[in-house]
Amino acid sequence: MEEDKKFDQLFEYASNLRWKVGDDFHDQLTEGIYSDASSITKRVVHDDQSHKTYHFDRMLDKILTSKKYGFLIMGLVLAIVLWITIEGANVPSGLLDSLLLGTIYPALKNLSLSLGIPWWLDGFLLDGVYMAVAWVIAVMLPPMAIFFPMFTLLEDFGYLPRVAFNLDGLFKRAGAHGKQALTMSMGWGCNAAGVVATRIIDSPRERLIAIITNNFSLCNGRWPTQILIATIFIGAVVPESFSRITSMVAVISIAFLGIFFTFFTSWLLSRTMLKGEVSTFSLELPPYRPPKFWKTLYTSLIDRTIIVLWRAIVFAAPAGAVIWLISNIDIGSLSIASHTINFLDDFGILIGLNGVILLAYVVAIPANEIVIPTILMLTVSHFGVAGFGSGDGVMFELDSYMDTSRVLEAGGWTLLTAINLMLFSLLHNPCSTTIYTIYQETKSWKWTSVASILPIIFGLIVCFLVAQVWRLI
Amino acid sequence: MIPNPVTALLIFAGLTLITLTIIWIMKTDTWKLKFRSKDILKTKIEDILKQLYHVEYGGKRATLNAMAGALKIEYSKLVPVIEYMAGSELINVKENAIILTEEGRDYALKIIRIHRLWEKYLSEKTGIHKSEWHQRAEKMEHTLTNEEAELLYRQLGSPRFDPHGDPIPTKTGDIIQTHNQPLCSLKVGDSAKIMHIEDEPAVIYKQLIKEKLHIGQYLKVIKSSENNVTFISEGNQHKLSHIVASNIGVRTLSEEEVFEKEKVRLSALDKGEKAIVVGISKECRGANRRRLMDFGFINGAEIVTEMKSPSGEPKAYLIKNTLIALRDDQADLILIEKVA
Repeated sequence: MEEDKKFDQLFEYASNLRWKVGDDFHDQLTEGIYSDASSITKRVVHDDQSHKTYHFDRMLDKILTSKKYGFLIMGLVLAIVLWITIEGANVPSGLLDSLLLGTIYPALKNLSLSLGIPWWLDGFLLDGVYMAVAWVIAVMLPPMAIFFPMFTLLEDFGYLPRVAFNLDGLFKRAGAHGKQALTMSMGWGCNAAGVVATRIIDSPRERLIAIITNNFSLCNGRWPTQILIATIFIGAVVPESFSRITSMVAVISIAFLGIFFTFFTSWLLSRTMLKGEVSTFSLELPPYRPPKFWKTLYTSLIDRTIIVLWRAIVFAAPAGAVIWLISNIDIGSLSIASHTINFLDDFGILIGLNGVILLAYVVAIPANEIVIPTILMLTVSHFGVAGFGSGDGVMFELDSYMDTSRVLEAGGWTLLTAINLMLFSLLHNPCSTTIYTIYQETKSWKWTSVASILPIIFGLIVCFLVAQVWRLI
Repeated sequence: MIPNPVTALLIFAGLTLITLTIIWIMKTDTWKLKFRSKDILKTKIEDILKQLYHVEYGGKRATLNAMAGALKIEYSKLVPVIEYMAGSELINVKENAIILTEEGRDYALKIIRIHRLWEKYLSEKTGIHKSEWHQRAEKMEHTLTNEEAELLYRQLGSPRFDPHGDPIPTKTGDIIQTHNQPLCSLKVGDSAKIMHIEDEPAVIYKQLIKEKLHIGQYLKVIKSSENNVTFISEGNQHKLSHIVASNIGVRTLSEEEVFEKEKVRLSALDKGEKAIVVGISKECRGANRRRLMDFGFINGAEIVTEMKSPSGEPKAYLIKNTLIALRDDQADLILIEKVA
């Protein structure tokens, strides 16, 4: 009993003392540890005072973050990276395409024919699953294999943190982090990779903003769609000598619209849904160092390209199967696809699109790459356009713009449809690979659904408004 | 079939209006209160207890009229609640003066404890702006139970002061008396430390936030007139009216604490200038504070402003041989002494 009393007294004494020490004794502890550490370092660490690299770094910083050249250099670097990616990817993409779709696909077809495999199994596996997977690989792999290593090299060199440093003032106004500039440009390669890249943002609120808005970066699965539609429809409006430049401007405007939506959504989210999340800004500017070329190449191929590609394949395979099935299973006299198209058509027309496009976006959630092939296939089979395609449920692309345009016009396309498709291609839900990645990164159904649903709401509203205004004029 | 665009646009506008109205109603949550009359009684009782505690703490006597005015409740609605409270022995009503019973005081302290703990929580663990803490805590204090409050207290590391500098009562109702004096009572030449910033009324608090004044700041009064008081602190000069200044509680400096004129904010350090870090302001809390400490923003560290971003912010500082970029509102919270 005596003992207990003593303890109680001690506890009370301690509790009273806590009023007096204030609430900053944790800080004082940290300060104590730091000052001990620095006094020890001063005694035992000898600093070789040659600051050659330091001065070189400052000189380089002076140029790269100067008011005069800072933004110019950034624009130039970005343009070069994008140019190399687009130009450099053409050749390997063509090779993969002719190998996977031009050589292996017919060979497999012949093989299954000689083995006597029933048409439905052959169609399901080869025309559905194999076709979708092959398509995704051919379109996706080369640009990613070029884009990501270049990005990683710039990161390794130390340039990317400077970009974040230059642009932070701009992003701050939208309630975002300067490093979002990096994840945003990474998104131009692939949104899933962009979402993974948001790990560099250590502030919880700004990281969520970067994840949710990454989808507004036009990814490399969508660039080809934009270019194709712009060339066919928008380039055709102006005299031929201007058509190339006009369609180029149209595509770039869409990309800039994406940047606008990134800032707008960041601004909106940071003031509403994300207000309560913790926000801590910090940006370290590491010293410059020569990038390790081969190591970078290897790690970026493994870490970014292969993982993302694998996820894409995993999601593309079932999508191919679904596309084939809905075109080949009939209910009554029509296929499931045709029923759905008829059902969606009224709403599609209302927002300046059509049923085919909406259905294509539903079944092609796994990969934006297969949207155009799906649209072409569905249009041909639904409207019975003669002379194109290779059967129900078999996706295809046409070599000439003329043919593509003829198929689409047979499907009732107008200039409005084309413009709205370009807008909808920018503003719709992320592909399922990205959605899965967002879940992996946030571990939250709430933010995953926000990231998936918000863009499609924007897309529907924008398309709707454009269509009504178009019809009024 | 293409629908008429005008009709379509009108329907769209209607739908948007309805959605916005629903969001607005949800946000103001007036509808919630309408359906919770029982909770409203509890809320009223608790608000009255709190008010009584504050009045008694200030050494004044509470009257029914004054209470009705302070709580913005109609006199006729206040009386039955007061009667009910007297019946449940939370208060004694004597000759028109209302006095808290022992039980009532404990209850009031419990509410105050939850209020201040919740403000502490909001300041440490969330990114919600400080101008909203009070309103949110006002709602929370009526919903959290004692057990939940205790859990929160433990998770926050057993804090004794809320972010405004007020003491948080302990579980058993212990609280210390603070001996702060209002800023407006200082004379010219007095030096003091800001100990408390009152968050009510909101209008004045917003003005104080605008002035960027924080708890723990040292100041020196340089001018005092009939209406205003002017003082310098952390390299800036502030001029406040007496009404605003009376909401800042200060403690005059003791002998060993000196007001250092040279102590300024890091944001005042121009490109190429050198300084020694003095410390991080109390205003910088939670994850932000820990991050800055990790980087080495600690008393005695050398620091140089190296670069300024072409978009104005942030600036890059060299500290412990590392370049760290900070935004100006962060640099405002780091105190330095310039070195020639």
